[in-house]
Amino acid sequence: MKRNPVGFVVLLCGTMLYTGAVLAQVDLSGDWALASDTTDAGTGRVADDFAGIPLNAQGRAAGLAWTADEQQELQRQCEPWGPDYIITGLWGGRFTAVRDRFGTVHGWNVTISVYDRLPMVIWTDGRAPPSPEALHTYGGYTSGKWEGDTLVTLTTHLKDDFLERNGTPSSNQETFEMFMTPHGDQMAITGVVRDPVYLAAPWVIAGTLARRVDTGGAVNNSVLYCMPAELQAVSDGYHAGGELPNQIKTLEMYQTEHYNIPLDAALGGPQTQYPEFRKRMLSEGYKPPKEYCKIVCCDFTSRVCSSN
Amino acid sequence: MRRAALAGVLLFGSTVLWAQQGRAPGNRPGAGAAPPSAQAQAPYDPSGYWVSLITQNWRFRMVAKGPGDYIGAPINAEAKKVADAWTPAAAAAAARTCEAYGGAIIMWLPERLHISWQDANDLRVDTDAGMQTRVLHFMSAAGGARAGAEAAGPAQPPADMQPSRQGYSVARWVLPAGAQRGGRPAAVGAPRYGSLQVTTDHMLPGLLAKNGIPYDGNAKKTEWWDLRKESTGEQWLSISTTVLDPHYLTRPYIYDPVFQKEPDGAKWDPSPCSAL
Repeated sequence: MKRNPVGFVVLLCGTMLYTGAVLAQVDLSGDWALASDTTDAGTGRVADDFAGIPLNAQGRAAGLAWTADEQQELQRQCEPWGPDYIITGLWGGRFTAVRDRFGTVHGWNVTISVYDRLPMVIWTDGRAPPSPEALHTYGGYTSGKWEGDTLVTLTTHLKDDFLERNGTPSSNQETFEMFMTPHGDQMAITGVVRDPVYLAAPWVIAGTLARRVDTGGAVNNSVLYCMPAELQAVSDGYHAGGELPNQIKTLEMYQTEHYNIPLDAALGGPQTQYPEFRKRMLSEGYKPPKEYCKIVCCDFTSRVCSSN
Repeated sequence: MRRAALAGVLLFGSTVLWAQQGRAPGNRPGAGAAPPSAQAQAPYDPSGYWVSLITQNWRFRMVAKGPGDYIGAPINAEAKKVADAWTPAAAAAAARTCEAYGGAIIMWLPERLHISWQDANDLRVDTDAGMQTRVLHFMSAAGGARAGAEAAGPAQPPADMQPSRQGYSVARWVLPAGAQRGGRPAAVGAPRYGSLQVTTDHMLPGLLAKNGIPYDGNAKKTEWWDLRKESTGEQWLSISTTVLDPHYLTRPYIYDPVFQKEPDGAKWDPSPCSAL
């Protein structure tokens, strides 16, 4: 058989070019979980606490109209959270490259092991976005591009949902942008939520994921199924099961009992996320609560508080 | 003819390989020329005024927690014992309110930053809350980390270095793999990317919260400063921060302050340390 050296060298060059292109991408593969201060993501905000979230009047009204009972309704039990749950939830995700048969990476599939958030594919191959009239889902459609070692993503085509587990609303006009920068075994993520229906300004949040190496595949390795079932009405201790929407009295009771935070702080808005708001509270005589903490007083991972 | 074609293909292949490696002769860093300063090497300029956005963990950042409220901090039993014994009256009497503005937690507070280049290799960070000052000492350009590298320990501070409220910070730019390898200057007008890694130690003991949660003098802090920039001009500085304190914490304490760029210092409002 006659050998063709030119063809061989062309193949070699092609291989080098292809390898270079593949290696130019940052490898996000693996299991990642939230490692940041887990107060909001773990214990979570109480109902009617929107401090620091730039809600507009419509968003505030929708948030106050929510009660924890809603989550127990059969048709709502299996509604997953939106893509921002990668920062506002504990689970992080399993990142897997989406490759074609030649090995080229077209995107990243991000899954979690519970039915809290739908799988998200971050398409990085520059494909055309879907029509604005295309189907909206709880996972949305996500595209991404690399800027240095940072993957910048944009999620659109979302359904009406919640930004936080306390009923902070999001509309189907929401967009979610992420800046994901791996730093060794950590990944810094900054998220920017924009929603012309419920937010008066972008809601900018951040979290650090840590690569999980000790899970033995037990975390983020599959999507469990959600099985709705009749449940008793839940109570967080401050909201009665039959509470009516907009019953802010419970909120006042909560804040006064435990944190002494003024009501207008808890109602959120862009002004509540700036240091000036704190200075105003202090000038108006804010005092921290004097009573020793009795409920949910320690980080759930440290377990040094007997009440936890 | 075939030999000419073969030579041409080989030349192309060599060029490709050279381009991937980014090692043009005479273009290698440190080949006789002085290494560029940290300011010259910076993929972005962090100088200017920034305001913290308190969008998460609001009630634990905007106001002082009540006694015994330790949620959010992974404290051990010894830390709880110390915090349980802490009283704001005793702290105020001893003029120790600035302990809650120490290096381990200063960037997590509601505040504005004024960042400026003290010189070409030292970045100064002033806070209006508590009127604290940090100086980030850059390692030489040749000591830059490879992309995605593990956080390295800081360079040795001067032998007679005494602990201070903000500690001793060593910084270095971490550039994407391609930019790091060749050290070739980016084309004029081309975007430049990279992160700032800062490691801090030599801190005085302090408080992670104003209700007495302690950190030890041997605590160490690693920060990754990432600029998030929109085409619309909006800029956010996101700082992924890890505090290690084996004495008082059961695991690393990680938090992520976000700062928004401001056009000027019109809202800069220095205020002393506060117990509230």
